[in-house]
Amino acid sequence: MPIGNLDVPVIGKNVVIAVLVQSHILFATFIIGAVLIAATSEYLGMVTKQNNYERFARNLARFVVLLFASGAALAVTFVLALVTLFPVFFSILQNIFFWVFLVEAFMFLGQIIIVYAWYNVWDKLAYRKSLHVVFGFVAGFFGLMAMTMIDAVASFMLTPAEVTSQADLVARSFLNQTMVPLNMHRFVGNFSYAGFLIAGWAGFRYLRTTREDDREYYDWMGHFGLLWGFGFLIMQPIIGYGYLKGIRESSPDSFNTIMLGDKSWVFNLLVIWIAVMSIASTAYFVHKLRFAIKPMETLRKLSVGALGFTALFTVLNIIPADADLIPQIGLVFGQGEGTQIPLGSMYPWKYIGLIGLILVGFFVVALYLRASATGFYWGRASRWSQYALMACSVAVVLTMVTMGYTRETARRVDNNPGYLIHWCVKLDQQIVSEKCPTKPITEGKGG
Amino acid sequence: MDLALLLLQQGTTGNPAPIGVFRFFAGFVLIITLYSSFLGFTYWISKDE
Repeated sequence: MPIGNLDVPVIGKNVVIAVLVQSHILFATFIIGAVLIAATSEYLGMVTKQNNYERFARNLARFVVLLFASGAALAVTFVLALVTLFPVFFSILQNIFFWVFLVEAFMFLGQIIIVYAWYNVWDKLAYRKSLHVVFGFVAGFFGLMAMTMIDAVASFMLTPAEVTSQADLVARSFLNQTMVPLNMHRFVGNFSYAGFLIAGWAGFRYLRTTREDDREYYDWMGHFGLLWGFGFLIMQPIIGYGYLKGIRESSPDSFNTIMLGDKSWVFNLLVIWIAVMSIASTAYFVHKLRFAIKPMETLRKLSVGALGFTALFTVLNIIPADADLIPQIGLVFGQGEGTQIPLGSMYPWKYIGLIGLILVGFFVVALYLRASATGFYWGRASRWSQYALMACSVAVVLTMVTMGYTRETARRVDNNPGYLIHWCVKLDQQIVSEKCPTKPITEGKGG
Repeated sequence: MDLALLLLQQGTTGNPAPIGVFRFFAGFVLIITLYSSFLGFTYWISKDE
């Protein structure tokens, strides 16, 4: 049966899918991270009896409930666009991942039901707080499971497993080579992304509010959000390295494209955002240590040193390997790939930069947590420290967009040919049967 | 202006035509527009409670 090849004028159908999915992910990731952070905050409020935790958890839960509609609407629109614009590709994905998609749909349903119930019974379960906290964590768990299902599909598209039997089709396709690292990368990313956004929002509100109690609350909220954001960010290079190692081993051409080839600029872009987040976060910590209830001048001096090292290591990460910066738009200097830039090579400089960043990050977070244990004077933070929080929240959104583009463009390998499912379905939905894990109905026995 | 022309010229070593570069940035602008308007709307409906 022939299927018409629909296209979208002006922006093209590839961009339509990219826009819908990327916008959806920006909401979905926030919702998963925010639900888990809010549930943890509610638990901390229950244990410590500090009102800030409870106020924060409840406000965040309400925002998540209201935001759910936007995330879900984009998801539905995306599936509709995929069925309409890429029918062959979507049929093959459904053919391989029928059960995975079904489980995901039910996880999504479970998450909606529990999130709404969690917010709705907040007062009713005020005297059974432990049970109420469990509601929040269960909602977060459902969200994580839905993410796990779609990660299987997304990782399969880049690194499909070799499949020889029907049993393999389910097990090896689900647990393909990059599924676990991708899932870990996104699990940690949920907290980091939501944390930075919360911190940025707190910074914005802090600067606008005129009430003293609100200033104290938003100052605390910025600190709390940044601890989640930066605390989880410094784990990402290790997990991201594992993910890239998986891509290199199972799909070397994709690895070469995004790390060494024409699209390596996406990683230069990424480390610029990481530099903004790392330097802004460390600077915020240095500033905040001035307001520790118990003066800690030594810790503060150490953190100033950490800020210097953070700047040094992040700059080391940013230096491009050669003058072939963005060949797609002609941004090439000198001899292009032939012009090597000092300190720009992956080995050893990028490794030194990334490992150094992680070590300094853990060091400064440990110092900051040490000071947090005795408390801070809230509501005294300077304006620029709040701008630093807002810069982090902008940078984390750009990080998400850059990373999304990177993973999807990795299958293009100079567009010769570009794949929707690597080695299986090309960008124009033509099926390359040899390495395709499932046979189309027209070629199989059925039909 | 020269830089803009340099940025938009058909790649010296790359492949996209200007329409590809346009679509790349159009996609980015659309993502940010959708994201910020939905977030803004959600804030707007939640703030008076």
